[in-house]
Amino acid sequence: MEMFLSVAVISLVGVAVAAVLFKAAVHETPPTAPLGDESLLNLPQRFFVDDRSLRTRPVVPIEMLRLQIERHVRLEQAAAEAFRDFPTAEALQTLTTSPLVH
Amino acid sequence: MAFDQPELLQGLSIEDAQRVTALGRRIRVPSGGELFSLGSSADSLFVVERGRIALTLPMQVHQHAEDVLIEERSPGQAFGWSALIPPHRFTLKATAPLDSEVLALPRTALLAYFAAHPEVGYIVTQNVAEVMGRRLQVFQAMWLREMQRVIELRTLPARENP
Repeated sequence: MEMFLSVAVISLVGVAVAAVLFKAAVHETPPTAPLGDESLLNLPQRFFVDDRSLRTRPVVPIEMLRLQIERHVRLEQAAAEAFRDFPTAEALQTLTTSPLVH
Repeated sequence: MAFDQPELLQGLSIEDAQRVTALGRRIRVPSGGELFSLGSSADSLFVVERGRIALTLPMQVHQHAEDVLIEERSPGQAFGWSALIPPHRFTLKATAPLDSEVLALPRTALLAYFAAHPEVGYIVTQNVAEVMGRRLQVFQAMWLREMQRVIELRTLPARENP
């Protein structure tokens, strides 16, 4: 009888240890990081490139952005004045070196 | 004046130009100073005599309203024609990026002088029309160039994913 009880207790302890180890091994997977833009999920996946990943743009400081805008305005104004002086369809499409359009 | 003949007074005799200039008063705008704000009452037409005047409009940049340069006026150039066009409210903000001086020509004094001297009024009005027409043509071209880019941006994904 004593022999039977000791075997039973050892078996229960073994099952408990196995259960704890199993629980530790199969822990919950962490939740995935939320996407910034849910509409990206609707983009089709391409063969070589998966562009559904979040496209992050570097944040440009306001002062630098303002300088870029001012430069853009000056260049665009110069291009528009060149069109006014010699109006042709080609003159209307000339490219400038503005960083905002490249 | 520090320049030959302002665009507003071109075609006038020296005496007539001096008489029109005498209607105004000189205003010094220190560097960073504001001459007029967007929406304020437009009672005077201005001519830059020294320095520069930046004409700006507020634009949303990173969720902040930032004054963005629309155009810059240098000595001899006129600005502030809202003074001549109802409802006489400025549609831009004018500031001086450096220490500047402008000639402010009050609308009431100008119109009274033009009524008394129609030949002068005719020439000045022609000059104002020319300045406005040039700017309209430039802004039409700038607008079309920006529209072209908007359309290119809109049609870009369609071209990439036929």
